[in-house]
Amino acid sequence: MIERELTRRHFFSRTSTGLGAAALAALLPDSMRAAGGLPGFPNHKATAKRVIYLFQSGGPSQIELFDHKPKLRELAGSELPDSIRRGQRLTGMSATQSTFPCVPSRFSMKQHGESGAWIGETLPHLAKIADKLTFIKSMHTQAINHDPAVTFFQTGGQIAGRPSIGSWLQYGLGSESEDLPGFVVMISPGQGGGGQPLYDRLWGSGFLPTRFQGVKFRSVGDPVLFLKNPAGFTGADRRRYLDALSEVNQIKLAEYGDPEIATRIAQYEMAFRMQTSVPELTDLSKEPESTFALYGEDARKPGTYAANCLLARRLAERGVRFIQLFHRDWDHHGGLMKGLPGRSKDTDQASAALVTDLARRGMLDDTLVVWGGEFGRTVYCQGRLTESEYGRDHHPRCFTVWMAGGGIQPGISHGVTDEFSYNVVENPVDVHDLHATILHCLGIDHLRLTFKYQGRHFRLTDVHGKVVRPVLAA
Amino acid sequence: MSLLRWLSAATLAGGLSAAGLEFNRDIRPILSDKCFSCHGPDPANRKTALRLDNAAGAAIALKNGARAVTPGKPDESEIYKRVVSANKALRMPPAYMGHEALKEPDIALLRRWIEEGGAWQPHWSFVPPQRPAPPSIRPEWGINEIDRFVVARLDRDGLRPSPEADKRTLLRRLSLDLTGLPPTPAEMDDFLADRASNAYEKAVDRLLDSRAYAERMAIRWLEAARYADTNGYQSDGVRTMWPWRDWVIDAFRRNMRFDQFTVEQLAGDLLPGATPSQRIATAFHRNHRTTAEGGIVDEEFRVEYVADRAETTATVWLGLTMGCARCHDHKYDPITQKDFYSLFAFFNNVPEKGFVYNFGNEPPFVAAPDEEQRKKLAGLDAAADAAKRNWESLSARIEKEWKKWAAAQPASFDWTPSSGLLAHEKPANSTFDNNRVVDLGTEKAKFNHRDPLTLSVRVNTKTPKGAVLTRAEDYWEGTGYGIYLVDAKIRFHFVFRWTDLGMRVETRDPLPLGEWHDIAVTYDGSMLASGTHIYVDGTEWPLKVLFDQHLWPIGHKAPLRLGAGAGLNFEGGIEEARVYDRALDGKEVEALSRAGSRENKLRLAFLDGRLPPDLAAARKTMLDTRAERDKYHASLPTVMVMEDRLDPRDTFVLRRGAYDAPGDKVAAAAPAMLRQLPPDRRLNRLDLARWLVSRENPLTARVAVNRFWQSMFGMGLVKTIEDFGSQGEWPIHQDLLDWLAVDFVESGWDVKRLMKTIVMSATYRQSSAVTPELLRKDPENRLFARAPRFRLTAEMIRDQALAVSGLLVDKTGGPPVKPYQPEGLWQELTGGSGYKADKGEGLYRRSIYTYWRRTIQPPAMIAFDSPTRETCMVRENRTNTPLQALNLMNDVTFVEAARKLAERILRDGGASAEARLRHGYRLVLGRDPKPAEARALTAAAADFQARYKDDGKSAEALLGHGEAPRDQAFAAPDLAAWTGVASILLNLDETVTRE
Repeated sequence: MIERELTRRHFFSRTSTGLGAAALAALLPDSMRAAGGLPGFPNHKATAKRVIYLFQSGGPSQIELFDHKPKLRELAGSELPDSIRRGQRLTGMSATQSTFPCVPSRFSMKQHGESGAWIGETLPHLAKIADKLTFIKSMHTQAINHDPAVTFFQTGGQIAGRPSIGSWLQYGLGSESEDLPGFVVMISPGQGGGGQPLYDRLWGSGFLPTRFQGVKFRSVGDPVLFLKNPAGFTGADRRRYLDALSEVNQIKLAEYGDPEIATRIAQYEMAFRMQTSVPELTDLSKEPESTFALYGEDARKPGTYAANCLLARRLAERGVRFIQLFHRDWDHHGGLMKGLPGRSKDTDQASAALVTDLARRGMLDDTLVVWGGEFGRTVYCQGRLTESEYGRDHHPRCFTVWMAGGGIQPGISHGVTDEFSYNVVENPVDVHDLHATILHCLGIDHLRLTFKYQGRHFRLTDVHGKVVRPVLAA
Repeated sequence: MSLLRWLSAATLAGGLSAAGLEFNRDIRPILSDKCFSCHGPDPANRKTALRLDNAAGAAIALKNGARAVTPGKPDESEIYKRVVSANKALRMPPAYMGHEALKEPDIALLRRWIEEGGAWQPHWSFVPPQRPAPPSIRPEWGINEIDRFVVARLDRDGLRPSPEADKRTLLRRLSLDLTGLPPTPAEMDDFLADRASNAYEKAVDRLLDSRAYAERMAIRWLEAARYADTNGYQSDGVRTMWPWRDWVIDAFRRNMRFDQFTVEQLAGDLLPGATPSQRIATAFHRNHRTTAEGGIVDEEFRVEYVADRAETTATVWLGLTMGCARCHDHKYDPITQKDFYSLFAFFNNVPEKGFVYNFGNEPPFVAAPDEEQRKKLAGLDAAADAAKRNWESLSARIEKEWKKWAAAQPASFDWTPSSGLLAHEKPANSTFDNNRVVDLGTEKAKFNHRDPLTLSVRVNTKTPKGAVLTRAEDYWEGTGYGIYLVDAKIRFHFVFRWTDLGMRVETRDPLPLGEWHDIAVTYDGSMLASGTHIYVDGTEWPLKVLFDQHLWPIGHKAPLRLGAGAGLNFEGGIEEARVYDRALDGKEVEALSRAGSRENKLRLAFLDGRLPPDLAAARKTMLDTRAERDKYHASLPTVMVMEDRLDPRDTFVLRRGAYDAPGDKVAAAAPAMLRQLPPDRRLNRLDLARWLVSRENPLTARVAVNRFWQSMFGMGLVKTIEDFGSQGEWPIHQDLLDWLAVDFVESGWDVKRLMKTIVMSATYRQSSAVTPELLRKDPENRLFARAPRFRLTAEMIRDQALAVSGLLVDKTGGPPVKPYQPEGLWQELTGGSGYKADKGEGLYRRSIYTYWRRTIQPPAMIAFDSPTRETCMVRENRTNTPLQALNLMNDVTFVEAARKLAERILRDGGASAEARLRHGYRLVLGRDPKPAEARALTAAAADFQARYKDDGKSAEALLGHGEAPRDQAFAAPDLAAWTGVASILLNLDETVTRE
C-alpha cells in the first residue's frame, strides 16, 4: 500500500482546497517525481549513490582466481585432512565420494600493483587495476546449493520470499531517475547458453510492493517488456493516443476524485518517457571506438557480459540506483580447466573496463562496484582427477568477493583462509555483513531499514549483520 | 508510523474520544510493535522478567522497585517514564538497537490509558466470537445487519453513507466482483429493463449460480494454496496438479460447505471410506515448492516442505504467523516454538522425500480421471475382470489339456520366454580373461529410469569382482547400468550421477566362485529399488539397497557389453545373455535357468501358443483387456496427494529451525493458547481439520469471512489478512466481523449465502465517488461511508479484455494453457527450448487456466500484482506502475483484443463515429459515453483514420497482431483507427477499475 500512501501524500500536500481537475493536472508531473524514499533516509552521509553488482552465478573458484595457496602444490593428490574438513557437510553430489584428493590450481597466480594483490593468470585485465580493488577473502555463507545460496545473497534469506537487496534500496532510498526504473537487472549466458538457471524472484520485491522489483533489461526483443509500440503504431500515434486517454481519465478524475486516477495518468506519461529513454540508453551506436577498445569487441554484441557492463555504466550515468548483472556458468564441478578460463575471458576485460571507465568519469567515487558469486569451490577434486581435467564442488566456508569505489578503501585484502582455502582463519565476513556494508556505503543503517510484514519488522540483514569497517575508506 | 496510519489514527480518534479507550484497539498495537520483541512472549529474547503482553507479566516489581504501570498515575508508571525519557540511555525503545522514540500520539494514548486505569484485555481474536446484536439504526438507511453496524460507526464520526450507485455501475461492479467478468450488453439491458423490486437480487442470484463465479472464487484460493504447474526450485520441473484446481472450482460451484471444504483438503484421505475426490482434495498440501537440484540435502528440504504446510495452514485458517515460531518462541503472540512443531507434526508423516522427481509428479499421487474418464476406466476394469473370471473358470479344462499335451512332449523339450526379448547372445568363445570384451553394439537396450527390463546371464566367475553385462562408462562412478560382482555379491547399478541420482542394490549373499549359475535382474520401471529383483538359478535372493534415488534419465554413452563396464572386466565364463524390455515374473525367470523345473517350462510353454484355439482366445482376451486397462490407467492425469505413513515419523523441536538440530520430541497438537484437542491418543490431520472448524476455535470463521470480505471490498475488515495476532490490525469493525463469522458458521458455513449477504447490503451498493472531505477523514475507506474503488486484479484485467472483444473461450477445467508470452523469457534465464504458446483456444481461456511456471511467472500477471505462487499469499496487493501501462498498451494480448473489439464496434455500432463509440462504451463499460468523453475519443478516431488512410501499410501492420483471423469486411484504415480507439477503451482508468 506504499504506492497509495505516496500518492496520497503528494495529493494532500498540494490540494488543501479541493480537487479541480485542472489543479490536479498541474501537479501531476510533480506528484509522480520518482524520488520519495522513506523519511529520514539516508540515515547518514552516503559514500555511494549507486551500486553495480557483478554477480558471477554458479560459484567461481577462489583457488584459481584470488586465494593464493602455494602449499597445495606439495599436497596435490593427498587426502583432505579431517582436521580441516571437521565434519563439514558436503553437497549430495560429493558426500558419497570415496576419496577427497586435494588439487592445487593448475593456473599460475602472481602479485600485482603496489598493493601486491594476488590475481590468477586468467584475469589479466583485472590484474592491471589491482590497486583499485579491495578483496574480501573471508566471505562465507550457509548455503551449499545454488538456489538457496543465490537467494541468500539476493535477499538475506535462503528460502525465497523476501525482498531482494535492490528492492530494499528502492524502498528505502527511492529512485533518482525520472524516466528509468531504479533497479535494473541484466543477464548474460555462459558457454552455449548454459549455466545454472536463474529466476525472476531473485530480483523480486518479496513482500514489498511490486513497484520495487527489479526490471530486467533484455537483450532480445524489447529491452523492457512491452516497451515497444506495436508495429503500425508510431511514437506520434502513441502521443495522440495518450492525449485522448488522459483527457478521458481527467474527466473521470474530476467526477470521482480518486487520486489513483491521477497516479494512473502520470504513470502512462512515465511509460511514454521510458519508450524514448530506454532505447536511447541501449543504443550504443554513439559510443566512440575507444569505448569498445576498453570494454572489448564483445561489448558490441547485445546480451554479452561486456555489453551489459557498458550498459551498466550508461545506467549509472542516468541515475539508476541499483544495477545488477548476472553472468552464468561458473559452476565447475568438472571441466574446470576449460570452463574457468572461459568464464574469465567472458568477464575479465569488461569488469576491469567498467571500473576504469567509472574512475575516468569521476563516477567511481560514488559508485560501489561489487563482484562475486554465491559460494566458492572445494579444494578437493570432485569427480575424476586426471591430467587434463578436474572439478570442484560447491564450497560455502570461504570464497572471495571484491569491491571497488563508493567509499571502499582501495588496494587492500581483508580476511584470511587456511592453507587449504577451506576455512576462514581471520576476519570472517558473512552474507549479512556484506549486505550491512553495502547499505552502509549507501548511507543506510541496516538496523533501520525495516518493513512490517506478517507482524514482524523485517530487515535485509534479518537479525544479523555487522558493517565490515576495515574495508571502508577512512 | 506511516502517514496513513497516522491519518487513520487521527481521523478515527475523533470517534474514539467519545467511546473511551480500548486496550486491544489502541494500546496493544503500540506495545506489541515497540515493546514485545524484548518484553513479550519469547523468553529467550526477554531482556528482563518484565513482559507487557499480559497483565501478570507486567505486574511484577522492577529492579528499582517501581511498577511498569501504576493505574491512574502515568508519571509514576515506569513504562510511561521510560518512553518519554530525555535520557537516551534510559529511553525506550532503546536507541542503541536502532529504534526511534515513540511518536506523540502514541505517547498520549499510553498516558490516557494509564490515567484510565491501565487495564489489559486478552487479545481479541483469541476469544471465541459471540454473535453481537446489530445496533438499532435510523430506519431510512440500510438493508441488512451489515448496514446497521456500519451506519452506527459512521454516526460516531458524524459521517453519512453515500447514495446507492447507479444501476449500470452496480451491475458492472457486481459482475466483476462475483464472476471476474463484466456484464454483457444484453445482461445490462435486461437488468436496466427489470423494474421489479428484487431485480438486483435476481442479478445476484444469477451471478452466484454461474460457473464464472466458481472460477473467480477459486483463483484467490489457488494463490493461498501456492498452486502452480511446476516445482518451483532450481530446474523447476513440471508437475500435474490441475485436477485439484478443478476440484476447487467444482467445490465453489456446488457451494461446498466451508467446513467440509477444509476437512477434505486437509485430511480427505483420512475420512472413513475416502472417495477419489476426497483424496484429490488433499493435493492442497502438495502444492508447495519442491526441489530436484543436484546435491541438495534431502532432509533439509523435506523439513522445508513440512514447515511450509504448517505455515500455510496457520495463515489460511488461523490468520497466525506461526512461521515466526519456527526458530524461537513468537515475539509478539503467545505461540511457542513447541507449538510450531506440534502443528508441524500433523504434516510430518507423508511418505515423501526432499529430493523429488524432476519430470512429473512425485509420490504419493493418485490417478485423477474426470467424469468421462472415470466411466471409461470402470468399463475397462469390468471387461478385464470379466475376462479374468472367465479364464479362471476354465482352469479345470486348461489343466486337463495341459496334462494331455505335456505327456506327449519329448524329454529334450525346451522353452524360454520370447515376448519382449531384445537381445540373445551366445558368445562362440565363452571364456573371459579379464581383458576380453564382447561388444553388443550401441543400438539395443537403451533403458532409462522408467523403463522396465530384465537382464539374464549364465556365468562362472573366478574372481569376486567383475563386470558381467553392462551398458556403462569405463569408470567406476560413471553413468550407465549393469550387473557387477563386488566381494562376490551380485550388484545391479543404474547410475545417472553416482553421488545423488541412480539406484544400486546388491545381494545379501555372495555367489560361489568357480561354478556356473544363472543370474537374472528384473526392474519394473517404478523408479524404486523395491521394484528391482535379483534371481540366482531361478530363485529370488534377498537384496540390500545401497542407493535409491532413481529419478533421472541416464542417456547412453557406452555400448552394451559382456565382460566390461564401470572400469571393470571379467574373469571366468559367460555362456549366454538375454535382455528383455519388460520385467519377467518369477516363473518366467525360473524358465530361463537350467536349475528350473521341467514342469514350469512345460506350463509356460503350453500357455505360450500351444493352447487349443478357444482357450487361446480366452487367454488373449484376458491379457489384452488387462493391458488395455493398464495402458489407459497410465495415461490418466495424476495429482499428488497427502498420505500418512503406517509407521509415523517422530517430530522434534528443531533448534534454530535447523533440520539437523533436533531438540525435544513433540506430539501433534493445536497451539497451546487455544482450546485443545482431546489428547487421549495420537492425533492426525483429520483431528486437526475438525478442530479448525469447531466452535472452540476462535479464528477460522473470522479469518475466512475476512478474506471473503476482502474479495468484495479490496481490503479486509482486518487489513492484515494473514495476521490476526498482536501485530495484526485491530478490526475497526470487530462487531461486524464477529457477526458475520457467527452467522457464517450458523448458516452451515454457506459461502454463497455469505457472499450474498455482503453484496445485498446497502454498504456494498453505495457509490464509490469520493469527496475531498471524506478522503481526508477516511483515506482508506475503513468506515465505509462510500463503496471502495480499486483496480481490477491481474486475471480480471486480461479476462475482461478477452470477454469484451469476443475472444474469450468459455470452457471450464482441464490441463493448463499457454497464452502469448514475449519471446525468449524462459531461455534467457534457464536455456532450454523455451516457451511455446498454444495455438487456437489455449490463447483465449480465462487466466485461471494459464500455465504457471513458478520461477518465471506469466509476466503480465506479475506486473498487475498477482502473487508469485511460491508461498501462501492471502493479502491482495495493488500498485500502479508505468510497466502496467506498457503492458496494457503493447502486449499482443491487448492489441489483438483491441482489434477484435474494433471489429465488434464496426460490425454492430452503426456508421457514425458517435454511434460506434457508444457501442464500444456499452461493450466495455456498460454505459454511454458522456459528451466530453465522446468528443475526445471521436476526435482521436478521426485523427487515426486520416493517418491510416495515408499509410495503408501501417494500418495493415497494426492489424497483423495476434492469431485471431481478421474480419476482412472492414477497410484496413477504418479498422486500424478503431483498433487504436478500442485500445484506449481497454486502457481507461474506469475500465481497469471496479467502481
